Amino acid sequence: MELKELLDEDIIELNLKATTKDEVLHELSKLLLAHGYIDDVEGFVADIYAREAEGITGMGDHIAIPHGISPHAKKIGIAIGRTSSMVEWESYDDEPVNLIFLFCVYGDENSGTYTTKLQAEAELARRLGSAGVIDQLQHVKSKGELVDVLTK
Amino acid sequence: MKIVGVTACTAGIAHTYIVAQKIQEAAEAAGHQCKIETQGTIGAENVLTEDEIRDANVVIICHDIAVDKSRFKGKRVVDIPIKVAMKNPKSLIATIEKKLNE
Repeated sequence: MELKELLDEDIIELNLKATTKDEVLHELSKLLLAHGYIDDVEGFVADIYAREAEGITGMGDHIAIPHGISPHAKKIGIAIGRTSSMVEWESYDDEPVNLIFLFCVYGDENSGTYTTKLQAEAELARRLGSAGVIDQLQHVKSKGELVDVLTK
Repeated sequence: MKIVGVTACTAGIAHTYIVAQKIQEAAEAAGHQCKIETQGTIGAENVLTEDEIRDANVVIICHDIAVDKSRFKGKRVVDIPIKVAMKNPKSLIATIEKKLNE
């Protein structure tokens, strides 16, 4: 599956109102709910927090990658948000974040589509590890540009 | 230097792949050949072959969950938690270079 197919502009918000980690997770989860990716905001957020407890998701460079396998996830995808000011988040470099990639994943399924989608998510994660991509992410001015930076 | 490695994080969704990319880029920027196998929810990708392991100067195991190391018997292994490579992959490669040159 093409990475471009996985990314959905409906669940990208470059002007999040959230100012705290909890607000970010709720705001992005509400987007996921609105577009059929999850069936319950509080349940999904609780599952994300469960993963947070296992290890930090602020990967440095003001980027956070919260994720968790959740039975409330109905579709595999990724909500992306940018906050207007920095948000406190447990990070490897002790810095706050303003770019959040909330992975939406459900558990084990024996299907080709499931594997292909997870492979696309893995490819996206790989891009987030690339210095070149990270540099450009902070400067994107539109959802289209964000998708381009992640998929070229 | 020929570097091979394996990455494996707890959920197997994100960190595994991000850190693999970071190590790969840092190693290549420093002029080394590098192949990193990822072990995630979808299973192992970019799997290391026996030849690649045999020819490697060093094996990096970067993980927050158990990884089977029996494939790497007799090799120089650098065993680190995910956060070490996430925080500073360049410094990791530099430290490995230093240790291998001692």
